Formats: sequence, C-alpha cells, structure tokens
Amino acid sequence: MSLVSSDHKAVARRYLWSGLGFLFFGGLLALLIRWQWALPGQPVPGLAWALPESRGALTPPAYTAVFTMHGLIMIFFAVTPLLFGALGHFVLPLAIGARGLAFPRLSSLGFWVYAVGGALVLASFAVRLGPASAGWTAYPPLSTPAFTPGLGQTLVTVAVLCAAASAFLYGLNFVVTVVRCRAPGMTWGRLPLTVWGLFFASVLNVLFVPVLAAATALLLMDRLLGTQFFVAGAAAVGGGGDPVVYQHLFWLFGHPEVYILILPAWGMVGDFVAFFSRKPAHGYRLTAGAMGVVTALSGLVYAHHLFTSGMAPVLGRAFMVLTLLISLPAEVMFLNWLMTLWRGSVRLTAPMLAALGTMGVFGLGGITGLALGAVATDVPLHGTLWVVGHFHLTMGAASFLAVFAGLYFWFPKMYGRAMHEGLAKAHVLSSAVLFLGVFGGQLAAGYAGQLRRLYDPYQYTYLKHLLPLNQWTTVFAFLLGAAQLLFVVNLVWTLRRGRVAEPNPWHVGTLEWTCAPSPPPEWNFHSAPVVLRGPHALSQPEVLARLGRDWIGQAEVLPEAAVEGADAERTDTGRVSTVGGAT
Amino acid sequence: MTPPSGSTSSRPERGAELEPPRVTPGAGTTPDTPRGAWTLALPEDASTHGHRIDALLAWSHRFEAVLLAVAFGWLVLAVWRFRRAKRAAPDGGTRRSRAWVLGLALGAFVVVDGTLLLGSEGYLRDVLWNFRVPAEDPRTVRIEVNAHQWSWEARYAGEDGRFGTPDDVVTWNDLRVPVGVPVWVQLVSTDVVHGFSLPHFRVKLDAIPGRVNQTWFQAAREGTWEVACHQHCGTSHYKMRGVLQVMTPESYAHWLREAGRQAVQGYDAEDLAAHWGWEWKAP
Repeated sequence: MSLVSSDHKAVARRYLWSGLGFLFFGGLLALLIRWQWALPGQPVPGLAWALPESRGALTPPAYTAVFTMHGLIMIFFAVTPLLFGALGHFVLPLAIGARGLAFPRLSSLGFWVYAVGGALVLASFAVRLGPASAGWTAYPPLSTPAFTPGLGQTLVTVAVLCAAASAFLYGLNFVVTVVRCRAPGMTWGRLPLTVWGLFFASVLNVLFVPVLAAATALLLMDRLLGTQFFVAGAAAVGGGGDPVVYQHLFWLFGHPEVYILILPAWGMVGDFVAFFSRKPAHGYRLTAGAMGVVTALSGLVYAHHLFTSGMAPVLGRAFMVLTLLISLPAEVMFLNWLMTLWRGSVRLTAPMLAALGTMGVFGLGGITGLALGAVATDVPLHGTLWVVGHFHLTMGAASFLAVFAGLYFWFPKMYGRAMHEGLAKAHVLSSAVLFLGVFGGQLAAGYAGQLRRLYDPYQYTYLKHLLPLNQWTTVFAFLLGAAQLLFVVNLVWTLRRGRVAEPNPWHVGTLEWTCAPSPPPEWNFHSAPVVLRGPHALSQPEVLARLGRDWIGQAEVLPEAAVEGADAERTDTGRVSTVGGAT
Repeated sequence: MTPPSGSTSSRPERGAELEPPRVTPGAGTTPDTPRGAWTLALPEDASTHGHRIDALLAWSHRFEAVLLAVAFGWLVLAVWRFRRAKRAAPDGGTRRSRAWVLGLALGAFVVVDGTLLLGSEGYLRDVLWNFRVPAEDPRTVRIEVNAHQWSWEARYAGEDGRFGTPDDVVTWNDLRVPVGVPVWVQLVSTDVVHGFSLPHFRVKLDAIPGRVNQTWFQAAREGTWEVACHQHCGTSHYKMRGVLQVMTPESYAHWLREAGRQAVQGYDAEDLAAHWGWEWKAP
C-alpha cells in the first residue's frame, strides 16, 4: 500500500530507507578505499568471496570500481535522496502548510525512477568486468567503450540518468509547491529557512540537472550507438568531438550539485540554531538572501574544476573572481548563525549538536576551499587529497550531519516515536569529531602532495612518508563507521519500543509541529492553517506573558490581551515586525 | 620497440660516466630524502618560481587559522556562555548587529580573498600564463610530452632544434632538463585524459586528447624528482610515474648530443607510430 501511495510522507519514507541503505553501502566502499591506503594490497577480511583470485585483496581494477561507485552512490543515491527525497518530501509540504506536494503522482514516479537507477547500480556489481570504474565524473574518453568496455559502466551511466530524472522531477515539484501551495498567510518572509534551502536547491536541480542528463545521454550514445561526441579527432564525423566539452558540461552541473547538497543543510542549520537558542534567527532576511546569492552564483563558478585543463586565461581569471566572490554570502550566513547563538538560551539537544557539528565541519571545509578558488594556489593542491578533504567536509560531512540533524528532529513527526536522546547525541558528536579526524587527515595528506585515486600512493617516493598519516586517518574512518552503530541501534530500538513522542517535543512554532499530529494524517492538517507569524517566534515577551511559554505556533492566535495590555500589544508587534523571522 | 626509445634505454649510464659527480643515475631515488612521517609540508620546492605559490599558500594558511579560530572560538564561547541562559533575546538582531555581520563578512572577504586574488594574479601574469619568458629566452628547452596509458613519452628536438626530424630524442618516463633554464612543455594525450604533474616544481597540466596544452617551469637546482599523473586514467593510473632529472647545462647538452646521434642511427622512416611529434607551435 505504501509502495504505490503518492502521499508525500509515504514517498519520503521510501526514500529514507533506500537512502539509508545506499549510505551504508557507500560507506562500506569508503572503508575499502581507506583500507587500501593503510594496508596496500593486503587482503580485506571477509572480502574473499567477492574477490577470490586475490583472496580478498583489492586489485587495481577493483579499486577503481570501488572509488567510482563510492562517489556515485553517495552523491546520487544516498545524500541527495536523504536530503530531498526523505527530509524534503516529508517536511516541505508540512512546513508551508500544504496538504501535499503540487504533483503527488510525479513524486511517486520520481521515486520509482530513482529506484530503477538504484537497482541498476546494484546489478552493475554482478556483471562481468564489474561496475563503473571511470571515476564518478566519468570523463571520456576513459568512460567510452574503448577504455572501459564493461557492461557495468553502461548500466551505471543509465542509473545516473535515472537519478537525474528523479532529481529533476522532485526539483520541479518542490519549486511549484513552494510557489503555489503555501498556506494562507505563509508569506515568503515567514518560510522556515529549511524551506528556503530546499527551494533554492530545487531551483538549481531544475536548472542544472538537465545539463548532467544531456552530458550523460551524449556519453551513453558514444557508448552504445557509436557516436563520437566526446572522442577527439574522430575522423568519421569530420573534425571529431571534444572531451573538454564533456568536462564543461559535467561541471556546469557538478558545481551547482555541491550547493544542491549543502543548501538544504544550511537551511536546517539556520532553523535549528534559532530553535535551540530559543530566539529568532539573526538576520533572517540576510541569511535567506545569502542563500539566494549563492544559488545565483553557483552556476557561474564551475570552471575552477578545470583550472589545469589548459583553459584560456580570460576564462581562468573570470572563474577565479567569481569563485572567490561566492565566499562572501557564505560568510554572511555563517556569521548570522553565530549571532543567533549569541544572547540566546542554548539547548544542546541532538538536532542542535548535529547542527553545531555541521557548522564546524562546514566551517573547516569552506575555509580550506579558499586556496582552491585562486588559480596559483590551486596548482599544487589540484587533484590531491586536499580537494578530497575539502569537498568531503562540505558536501559529505556537513550534509551528512545535517541529514541526521533533520532526522533526529523530525523522526518523532515521521513515526510518532521519539528517538533515544542520549544515543543520538553520542552519535552526532562522535561523528562530527571523527569527520574532522578523517577529512583533516586527508587535507594534511593532500597538502603533502598525495594525489587522488592512487591504488598505491607509495609507488611515489615523495609520498612514502605519508603511510603512517594515512593509517591514522583510516583508523578514524573505521571508528566513524563503527559510530554509526549508535544510530542503527537507536533506530531499531525506537521503532520497536521507543516512547510515544509528545506533540511538540522541541517546543517550536513551525506548522508541522503545531498544526498536525504525529505522524500526520494523509491530508496533513485537519483544517488549513492560517499563518500569522514567522518560523522563529521564540522568547517573545508577550507570548511569555500571556501563554507562559517561550514559543507560539506560526498559526496560533495569541489570546486577547487584558484590556490594559492592548496598547502594549500594538507597540510590541510593531517592534517585532521589523525583525527578521519573528513576523 | 621504436628505435628512438630503444636508443635511449642505455642513456643514464653513459651520462653518468661522463659527469660522475653531478648526476645520480638511479631512477627511482630522489634527493628528496624520506621525510619524517609527520612532515606535513608541501613537497620540497625545486623550481625557481614555486616559492611564490608557497608564500601565497602560507598566507592563506594564516588566514585559515584566524578564520577557524574565530569561527570555532565564537561557537564554543557562545554555547558555553549562553547554555540554558535564563533569558533569550527576543529579536533577530538590530540594524546595528546586522550591519556588523555584513561589515565583518566584507572585511574578511576583502582581506582574505583579495590577498589570494592579487597574489594569484601576480603569479599568473609573471609566470604561469606568461609564455614570453620561455619564448624570448634563447636557452629555452622545448619538450613535447605524449601521455598515454600508462607512461610519459617525451620528445626532444635534438641538436637541430626542430621537431619531427631523425635526430629527435624520445624517452619514456625519463625527463631530463638543464638547471636554471626555462623548460617549455607542450602536452598531448593519445588515449584518455591524463594529468602531467611535477609536484616539486608546482606544475600541473591536463593532457587531453585532441588538444595541445602547454606550460613552463624552471628548475632551481640539480637532482632527481618525480613525474606523477593527477587525472584518473585507468587501472594503472597509480603506476604512471616518471622521473625528472635536472642536470647541469653541460651534461644535458652532452646527453642530448649523444642520444640524438643514436636516434639518427636507429631512425626508421617506416615506423609511423614512432613519429608522433608535431611542429612546435608557439602561442
């Protein structure tokens, strides 16, 4: 029943389980890579069944498949589905007071397209020559049949097309839903920041995922139909195709994609920091505006991935300036989060710890990206583990922690049961610290020159001394993997015998907590909410005075004041209306 | 086995015979003596211009440290100071506090990004994209590099200074350059995308089928360093390792003369696969 249901909450649950499954799988692949860098060529315990010839040791072809599939699975089948598929589908309509998504059947269709892609990914592991192995970027000519002949590469290319189609569908769905289906009174200035993040990211999905689809479709034609779009000097087509065109198309999608993965995380951090500082977000409009500026710029910076591709100097300079420019709105947003904490009353709940952890890993990840944005400093770092550490901290660790912040925050709403707070806190705290260990180790190794995607980095004399560093990083990675057990145990325990959640366990005012039961019925709200104020109306003096609590629902009518308080109320609301988020 | 490459296979010993104290022949060793396990610095800089990048990176690290200290310090301080505070401010900031946020962000942006932009621009203008230096220097050594799965094939013009003639010297995974002279590299690939990387010379350039990319560098001192591939190019990507020997101008000239003579002897006009070089194209 729930498998065909097009209720946004049912679709979200489907995405949640498949996303968590792929997250687990992609994480195992990551551990294989780490194993290889710590103990090159040593048999991996328990892997002999998969690689009998080498008795479980990763071979170079197996290794290339492992890092390729790790990247693809994490981006297209784990983190994006968790952020948009699970949290986005679940929260977005509830948070804007809608009865569902604008196109419910489209969202169900999108899930099944994604599921087909996921099945193809899994199937690719079973075919001869294994899954894709040309890197997640799949640069031609390496990804053309001449160099990667296996069926697996084709299956995975189709799987990426499926993931792209599904991302486009929910992107479109979210944009239309936010524009058209907001509850009465839910003005743009009253949207939770999470919705802003999802909305902007969905705009990017609609604009840039088709570029990926185009590049992938052309690549697929090169693989299957003998076209030569990306094969240089192909005499048959007179002059031939150009592999660089693929690189530009890929990164024209690829860079917005990192913002697609981080914008919803930013939104959640903005909301949670406000909720658990018990005060309105500092500079709500500035934060939402900064996210908008990042969105607008995100399609104009991509060519910093190609600084070493021999591009024209004028392009290199332009993209350097644009790339550096994007750090300004990010700084505004980060400072706003810090200012939100200031003079608040900070409650270190599990979602809050996860949000603070997101800030920490994102801060380090963002700062280490600065040197990559300038051409000269990019040269020694380009293609090294510095880049790997940088983008894992931002779109890996930060998105991951934000997913769990969201999951711990909305789980009671999704399933009506409260997760164990202690286990949840231990999980997000240990994950955040270990993320810093793992990706900090990668930053250090990359700075010392270790290049990406090397089966055995120690073939190079100048990298030999990095073995102990890599081994420690691997230790952190395995501990990080082990720390996820805290989540699994918590999840299983909560679903079986977790206590029934209170209606509004976090004491916040957003619509999903104040206007709908947990879990919400199919139509979400018994009566359509009429929104009266912003998402962060916390610690408002008049609410404290009249209701005795520091929160009020976005659609909750403040009881009539005592007669003598009427004047005060007018001036109070007059003052409050000028601050972002409170109105 | 193509004649030019065959002719150079015995080259290292001969070069060493004539210049014994200067050139270490054993490919695979580097003077970059094994570093301590926790030496987390950039690879040693053996180029004449790399120090400018290194200095800029050092500045960027100072900025990173300050920004991190501010961000983490502020975060920890705020959580520590306002944890479970009795009262929370009911507003989303004042006009003044928002102005502070904008001002701080703008200040950090101007200082940090401005330094990176200007420093980077200086390097691009003077070095990375300034091909007038190698073009105008009469001593410049020109090398055509052909990257393929999985080796670096390098072509030198030989004594006549022209590519595509019988005295072209071709080496495999064995680059040789004189010290203190601009080295101008033009780079192609005949199969997939590769990345030509000289970590100790702060050089990185993609080798892309269908185009000739170029870069230049100048070695500051003699020694043996490594050539690495920085783009995933297939299963043996990790083995795409070459050696770069920096020699005295005299021993380099001697080596080139000897190798060119052997190349002429072994030249086979029929062997088309060996003639992949191209007429040198200045920008």
